[in-house]
Amino acid sequence: MAAKIWRIAPTLTKTFSVSQRAPAATVSLNRWRSTQAATFEQTLLNVPETKTSKLENGVRIASEDSGIPTATVGVWIDTGSRYENAQNNGVAHFLEHMAFKGTSKRSQTDLELEVENMGAHLNAYTSREQTVYYAKCLSQDLPKAMDILADILQNSTLREQEIERERGVILREMQEVETNLQEVVFDHLHATAFQGTSLGRTILGPTENIQSISRTDLQEYIQNHYKGPRTVLAAAGGVDHAELSNLAQKYFGNLSATYENEIPTMQPCRFTGSEIRVRDDSMPLAHVAIAVEGAGWANPDNIALMVANTLIGSWDRSHGGGPNLASRLAANCAEQNLAVSFQSFNTCYKDTGLWGMYFVSEGSTIEDMMFNVQGEWMRLCSNITEFEVQRAKNLLKTNMLLQLDGSTPICEDIGRQMLCYGRRIPLPELEARIEAVNAKVIREVCSKYIYDHCPAVAAVGPLEQLPDYNRIRGAMYWLRT
Amino acid sequence: MGSRIFSVFGRKIADTSKCFRQSRKFCTSNATSDICDVSLSTPPPGFPTPAYAMSSKQRHETKVTTLPNGLRVASENTFGQFSTVGVVIDSGSRYEVNYPSGVSHFIEKLAFGATSNYESRDVILQELEKHGGICDCQGSKDTLIYAISAETAGLSKVLDVLSDVVLRPKISQEEIEESQRAIYFEHESLELMPNQDQLLFELSHAAAYRDNTLGLPKLTPLDKISQIDRGNLLTFMHNYHSPERMVLAGVGMEHDVLVEMAKEYFEQKTPTWTSEQNIINPNQGIDTTYAQYTGGLVKVSKDLSNVSPGPNPMPELAHAVIGLESCSHKDPDFVAFCVLNMLMGGGGSFSAGGPGKGMYTRLYLNVLNRYHWMYSAVAMNHAYNDSGVFTIQASAHPNQLKELIEVIVIELAHTKGHVAQSELGRAKKQLQSMLLMNLESRPVVFEDIGRQVLSQGKRENAEHYLDEIGKISEHDIQRVAERMLNSKPAIAAVGDLTNMPSYEDIEVGLASDNGKMPNKFFLFR
Repeated sequence: MAAKIWRIAPTLTKTFSVSQRAPAATVSLNRWRSTQAATFEQTLLNVPETKTSKLENGVRIASEDSGIPTATVGVWIDTGSRYENAQNNGVAHFLEHMAFKGTSKRSQTDLELEVENMGAHLNAYTSREQTVYYAKCLSQDLPKAMDILADILQNSTLREQEIERERGVILREMQEVETNLQEVVFDHLHATAFQGTSLGRTILGPTENIQSISRTDLQEYIQNHYKGPRTVLAAAGGVDHAELSNLAQKYFGNLSATYENEIPTMQPCRFTGSEIRVRDDSMPLAHVAIAVEGAGWANPDNIALMVANTLIGSWDRSHGGGPNLASRLAANCAEQNLAVSFQSFNTCYKDTGLWGMYFVSEGSTIEDMMFNVQGEWMRLCSNITEFEVQRAKNLLKTNMLLQLDGSTPICEDIGRQMLCYGRRIPLPELEARIEAVNAKVIREVCSKYIYDHCPAVAAVGPLEQLPDYNRIRGAMYWLRT
Repeated sequence: MGSRIFSVFGRKIADTSKCFRQSRKFCTSNATSDICDVSLSTPPPGFPTPAYAMSSKQRHETKVTTLPNGLRVASENTFGQFSTVGVVIDSGSRYEVNYPSGVSHFIEKLAFGATSNYESRDVILQELEKHGGICDCQGSKDTLIYAISAETAGLSKVLDVLSDVVLRPKISQEEIEESQRAIYFEHESLELMPNQDQLLFELSHAAAYRDNTLGLPKLTPLDKISQIDRGNLLTFMHNYHSPERMVLAGVGMEHDVLVEMAKEYFEQKTPTWTSEQNIINPNQGIDTTYAQYTGGLVKVSKDLSNVSPGPNPMPELAHAVIGLESCSHKDPDFVAFCVLNMLMGGGGSFSAGGPGKGMYTRLYLNVLNRYHWMYSAVAMNHAYNDSGVFTIQASAHPNQLKELIEVIVIELAHTKGHVAQSELGRAKKQLQSMLLMNLESRPVVFEDIGRQVLSQGKRENAEHYLDEIGKISEHDIQRVAERMLNSKPAIAAVGDLTNMPSYEDIEVGLASDNGKMPNKFFLFR
């Protein structure tokens, strides 16, 4: 049930605004030296430290204590639809649905009433690479929330009759997802860009799988993937790290760290420049996504790609002049009425990513819009100015810092970073990394990822004007400069 | 904690700022390859561990100072690198009775545009970006809020920008035309959006406060877009944007610092409307009337069968809102109405979120879980300075509209009946935790300070409200339910309304003990 909103969160927001999700907060600027014997100045931050520790079974614990009366605590697991195959695609998401259906200790009603009576919130989401269960509660209820999280994770009953009932719910959810064209386009974009690999599959899975997934499939999935070393327990708000560690030992100390079956390995996912177009002239607006292969989470090039992403920015017609006229594309859209809205995105996975643009426009302006988008991309690779890059850097830092408002966004940031980077990047370091980007770096990195690369294109709507793939490919380089 | 760290922090900024240019220079050299090539999973070699701050459990109180010109300055210090500061004004669409409807909508759109010291929106944005700042202006029926979030170190610049934006806007013809376009597009996207919530909000208020104050539309009506000119706008601001109708609120700074800056920036500047007296229309004055709750019916028949074309369209829906008069947020019954709202709860039949979203509220248990055809049902309490309206909004297929109304009327009528201890306890606990969770966010704290100080001159802290919520009994719920059921219903409906019951029948149903509407049989219909 949770998935409708949350499923987008990991795929789109994490990425439409990597900026928003990524961490950071520092005001002082570090003194950078070019010499080998670098001396860095220690920065003073008015934010609490992220403390980390580890249980014997490999579960990592990370928390930040801000002393407020509420808290968010959650479990981040390094697994998702990427670890599925054609036969069991959808099982990770199915399991997320079954998590709230009762455990050996609590019936579904007991579980629901316990959470509701505490005034707490329990939620879960599945993305292509991560599975997350978290609770938001009053700080004093933290032990209870941990008890519940551990229980639904380790002791879910997965009763046959509930599995049967949930099939209908998931199919209904699928219909809901399909009413959201942005999600449809992004699923198509993954399907074409990562065709023939597990990243190309959807998170919900195809209808036949939803109808056939069995209790054994679910149990096998838990056995193969819910492992100590792949788990992070993250918390933020009013949480004491020592207390959290004790609770973690009590509730998650028994999570297994060894594999009974074959150890699952992560297969690399190949990117293929290609397209899917679903032409429907009865629709009022066209929804188009175009992307090149981006960088994996830990790749240092990601910082420059995020700055480039912020530079292109996002815009919506009703913003008018809009808060983002720093972007030349937004200015052109506002002036020439090229699109209804657009959003630049940078979706990251472990070893690959999608960097691109999603826009909604009238059928008659698609071609002009594409021309402008690709023109901006070429400009990023060739003659982007220092001034624009500096603005984008400031904006990126601002978005990242302001995003960390409240215990839930901070907890999400901690959990995600622990899985993606194996640590939480200290804010001054992140800021220093962004500060080190300049127009030259942008041009180099963008040339490496964008210039003369085959894009993946996915589009739905009145697409008569969407240029032929070869013409789109042809605009990925310039015969000048 | 705050003060010590803050002051150290302040100095730190000052002496590192010089390095800024230096650091950029190094970036261009090949030395950047160092940090630009280190995997994000590993710290760059030689990078020092930052010195972190410790949180303290101490809660800060809100301090309020009134300046000689009547401007109130209210602030609370908090933990963190950023601060939010803004101006909350007793303005908005409820005051538009003597003006072309939409004046405050235009003011909202024009906000953060050119001022006498900053020549364009872009210049303002660039100025704020230097301090990691973002800005926003939001209007509602009875308040207009200009806010900026930025690094605390840049506070002085932020206040300079803020005061210019609030007091010295240029409002050029070009900007007015740009706003006209944006408002046209807003109408257009509202028309295309499958979600009718905003329209229903407007219509339910139009029904509750017919042709007065809170019932006036917030969105500029299409035929008024071209009528609004610079004169209207400046006259409206002249009348309503005076210092005694404003609160300068801040979160994350020392109160004294903010007061000093307020004196410097807000007392010295002469507002545009004062320096251009000739453009002010003296016939358009201030509306000081109270909101008159009238009740009534507003229907908009509209074809919603094809709202989201695509591979998998949304089902066709009819939407209805039934409202009753509740109370202002200054009223002693306000907290009881909030608890009643939590008790009714509700949401979508298919909504995101696990346990905790109110699955055991009445609208879930008695409505959404029981009637499969119900698409959504949700209770809301809108409270303002002098009145309020409690509503239940629901949607279902147009064929079920009559049943939908019947079910909602029964639920409303039953609010004055028995309240189980378990559901009351749960609603109170959920309201308390919701309050604390909302206050995690700095912009929310900012808005709360601004609104409370604007309406009552001081800010009650969270503990006060937690206690008040704790005191609510079954008797209180029944009393406020009785009170609202004595008012005339305010009903709004959108969609295919062929099966809409009459206003009189609904009124009879709400007045009865069991909520049953009169049963009429028509053989031939």
